Amino acid sequence: METVTLVRVLGTVICFTGMALCWYMRRTRFNALSSEKEVSVANVRLTQSAFWKLLAFVGIVLVPLAAIGLANYHTLEGTHKVSACASCHIMRPMVNDMQKAASNTLAARHFKNHWIPQNQCYECHSDYGLNGNLQAKMEGYRHLARYTTRTYQEPIKIRGHFNNENCLKCHQGMPLFEAVKSHQSVRVLLDQSSMSCLNCHGQAHPSRAQRTPGSADYTKLMEAVR
Amino acid sequence: MDTIDEKSQSGISRRDMLRILGGVAAANGLGAAMWGALELMVPAATAETWHKSVCRYCGTGCGVLIGMRDGRVTDIRGDELAHNKGVICIKGSMLRELPYVKGRLTQPKIRRNGHLVEATWDEAMDLVAQKFKEAIAASGPDAVAFYGSGQLFSEESYTANKLFKAGMRTNNVDANARLCMASAAGGYTQVYGKDEPPGSYEDIDHADCIFLIGANPFECHPPLFERVQQRRRASKTCQLIVVDPRRTRTAELADMHLAPVPGTDLLLLNAMAQVICEDGLLDTAFIEKHVRFSDGQNTVDLAAFKAFLEQYKPEAVAAELGMAAPQIREVAFLFARSQATMSLWTMGINQRTQGVFLNNMLNALHLITGHIGRPGATPFSFTGQTNACGGVRDTGSLSHLLPAGHLVANEQHRREVEQLWGVPPGTISEKPGLDAVNLFRAMEDGRVQAALVMCTNPAQSLPAADRYRAGMEKCFLAVADIFEDSETARLADVVLPAALWIEKEGCTGQGERRYQLTEKLLDPPGQARSDLHILVDLADRLGHGALIKARTPPDVWDEWRHFSASSLYNFQGMTYERLKQARGLQWPCPDEHHPGTVRRYVEGDDPFVTTGSGIEFYGQPDKKAVVFLRPYVPSPERTSEAFPFYLTTGRVLEQWHTSTMTGRIAELAQASGDAEIEINAHDAWKLKVATGDTVEITSRYGALQGKARVTSSPREGVVFTTFHDAKLLINRVVSDHVDPVSKEPEYKVTAVSLRKVVV
Repeated sequence: METVTLVRVLGTVICFTGMALCWYMRRTRFNALSSEKEVSVANVRLTQSAFWKLLAFVGIVLVPLAAIGLANYHTLEGTHKVSACASCHIMRPMVNDMQKAASNTLAARHFKNHWIPQNQCYECHSDYGLNGNLQAKMEGYRHLARYTTRTYQEPIKIRGHFNNENCLKCHQGMPLFEAVKSHQSVRVLLDQSSMSCLNCHGQAHPSRAQRTPGSADYTKLMEAVR
Repeated sequence: MDTIDEKSQSGISRRDMLRILGGVAAANGLGAAMWGALELMVPAATAETWHKSVCRYCGTGCGVLIGMRDGRVTDIRGDELAHNKGVICIKGSMLRELPYVKGRLTQPKIRRNGHLVEATWDEAMDLVAQKFKEAIAASGPDAVAFYGSGQLFSEESYTANKLFKAGMRTNNVDANARLCMASAAGGYTQVYGKDEPPGSYEDIDHADCIFLIGANPFECHPPLFERVQQRRRASKTCQLIVVDPRRTRTAELADMHLAPVPGTDLLLLNAMAQVICEDGLLDTAFIEKHVRFSDGQNTVDLAAFKAFLEQYKPEAVAAELGMAAPQIREVAFLFARSQATMSLWTMGINQRTQGVFLNNMLNALHLITGHIGRPGATPFSFTGQTNACGGVRDTGSLSHLLPAGHLVANEQHRREVEQLWGVPPGTISEKPGLDAVNLFRAMEDGRVQAALVMCTNPAQSLPAADRYRAGMEKCFLAVADIFEDSETARLADVVLPAALWIEKEGCTGQGERRYQLTEKLLDPPGQARSDLHILVDLADRLGHGALIKARTPPDVWDEWRHFSASSLYNFQGMTYERLKQARGLQWPCPDEHHPGTVRRYVEGDDPFVTTGSGIEFYGQPDKKAVVFLRPYVPSPERTSEAFPFYLTTGRVLEQWHTSTMTGRIAELAQASGDAEIEINAHDAWKLKVATGDTVEITSRYGALQGKARVTSSPREGVVFTTFHDAKLLINRVVSDHVDPVSKEPEYKVTAVSLRKVVV
């Protein structure tokens, strides 16, 4: 079973357990609980009062914490996936184009030639290291906020600039890359991302003109790839 | 608990309720604050503002976005909305450095006692005007000349052309475009009656067979080669055939590479036509409707064309071509039978003594097979300079032309142009002026005594350069340039500091009839002025101020735009306002609502085609394109015992033309390195030359020494050198034979000898 599915199942179970506990405890009057009567759970014997307090602690503190933890874990893990990006319709032109065999944008070529085997969006759009991960997640949160509040405009445009490091982390040091003399002479500019790799190597995704709703290509780009 | 009393019926007190609401609000506030913070955390950008513009260098005419911060250019990106779809090359990427290169000329200078001495604009321009007046007074208007450039803005070339032809009354107006595009222009004009290619770059996206001859777009037009590669990625059946004596970077990636002996490839084109006729690969319906055959004098029929081609059977020409007959047959079949064939060529075809004939024949191959006027099917000549097409060919800034396809030699044309310019009939001289090579020869023998050279470097770019350098020293030469140490400025009597690229405003027209506007974003350094400003000033000083009424780029553009409406080069609909918004527009574009023309001569696209005709070659009186019977004539530069090698020249990815601009950008200079003499490994073995040895290369025109590089690239018997490097000024050695029609020199074929120099 995949981790994500396991997390989902666990999350659902915990959620229902929490709800059941809350509903059960609502009917309980803690003042009236006896500190003498004993309740036996499996091979442990507790006083009635202790039992209910413990149950309340689990219901109010542990279960929500576990739920929050799992939900976040699910979100953080799940957003690596291409499908997570594709779940917002504004990203569909990019994702559909990438997955289309006939397309030859850089994204599509990396996808169809298996140059990046999985999590293709995330691989190119998260910078190196923990900091890069956090930044990508924060950007994802910003996207979510924009998307749910409908405060965006199509065609979308990348903020700031794309970090060349995401190209260089794979290509640098490779024989084909190193054989190009101009790569050597502009290395500093490439490292600083002050010169874009895309200048010479073409479109990463469909152009903004193609991604504008109403354009001839937009409808095609929104059709999911079978 | 006391709160129990305050409980409402639901069991929650008001205070609790407020607490809960407060908590919810705080949580929401926290979320919103996080979002707000993230919105403010914009990743560092390379620029504050972005401006659409056009690359300064080659004829691809790539759209670029110029990123600026604090009034400086800080970044350059390919413009994804332009025809190049965001792709530019390393030279374009380094444009950010161009306005700031060291050594810019910032003040006019006059040569006194052999040294350039600083002067005021008035002193310099007075001297230029005085010398022009003296020359005209002494020997008539043909004693002065203008030598322009395919890099001037259209407004500038148009004004210079008008000033010299209608003001000073000499047709001695020529340009460096003579050295690169004249054969293509001649070829198109003879075939279709009108200059400029019928197709567009977009045709690459639909071609099924790409026949690339005499071109190396991997290095010379990288964004266009990337487009070719994109087409091949998209269509596995698309074939790339490359014909080049060298195994260029382009040829390395081809499906088929044919390496002819330099100077023989008209044999290949004629042999392909022969195979097409013999194997019944002709499109007879298309020929019937749209094609006329001609032997250059008279109309002939298809049978005569077939009979003419009999002597070019592949088996008969293969040995001289240096190819195998089956290869020729295969190429002819692929060319004719593909779904859509696109031919692409540049200087390997144009810079030839048979340049026009080669151009005729390339167009002919498309006409006899019907590979024209459909997406992907077109004969297309790439161009070398930003504005060779729009600025020189269209404005008619060549010695035999007048604007918009009018000819000096045609009286009716002269009258029309005189009327449009508002000058009396007879103003324009009936005598065509001197073409580039003859212009510089005339400086040598004193027929031309004063000349203005703008935006070009003939001292390095002319063939047999030593001869013409001597002529330039003799003539009074005013040079408008951005540097005072270019090879040409070193020979100047007056140097005028010129504004560069985005330091001025104007339009350029690239290879596919697309006009684009470059807007002014920077002030020129020091006292530098735009070339238009210099021309207007000269007009005033020579007493032609009244003729040059339009004095600003928008005014000149409007005059030229309205002028074009009288012709089939009509682009009246391209106002500055439209060009400020659009990523260029392709002419014909007769009115402001016309979207421009992607495919010329095609109904539904070209506004001049008669409804119902489908395809119509309206430039010809009978509306039929002409297929010429063009015999192969060997180059005058055939190898001999004394000169056993062919020298051919070309470019390198990181440098542009004579490298006056790109050579000063460290990243580009470092990547390209200095020019070397490339020798085939087998030849090198026979000459006992190794990479790094010094070799002397000698032709009938001169000799020079340089470092050898042994490679498998040029075929045996061929030597190659790039022409960007003034330290190895290879044009000193290159032949200056010209095409009899286009007058374009044959840079690509020079017989040379090689000798190892023992240092």
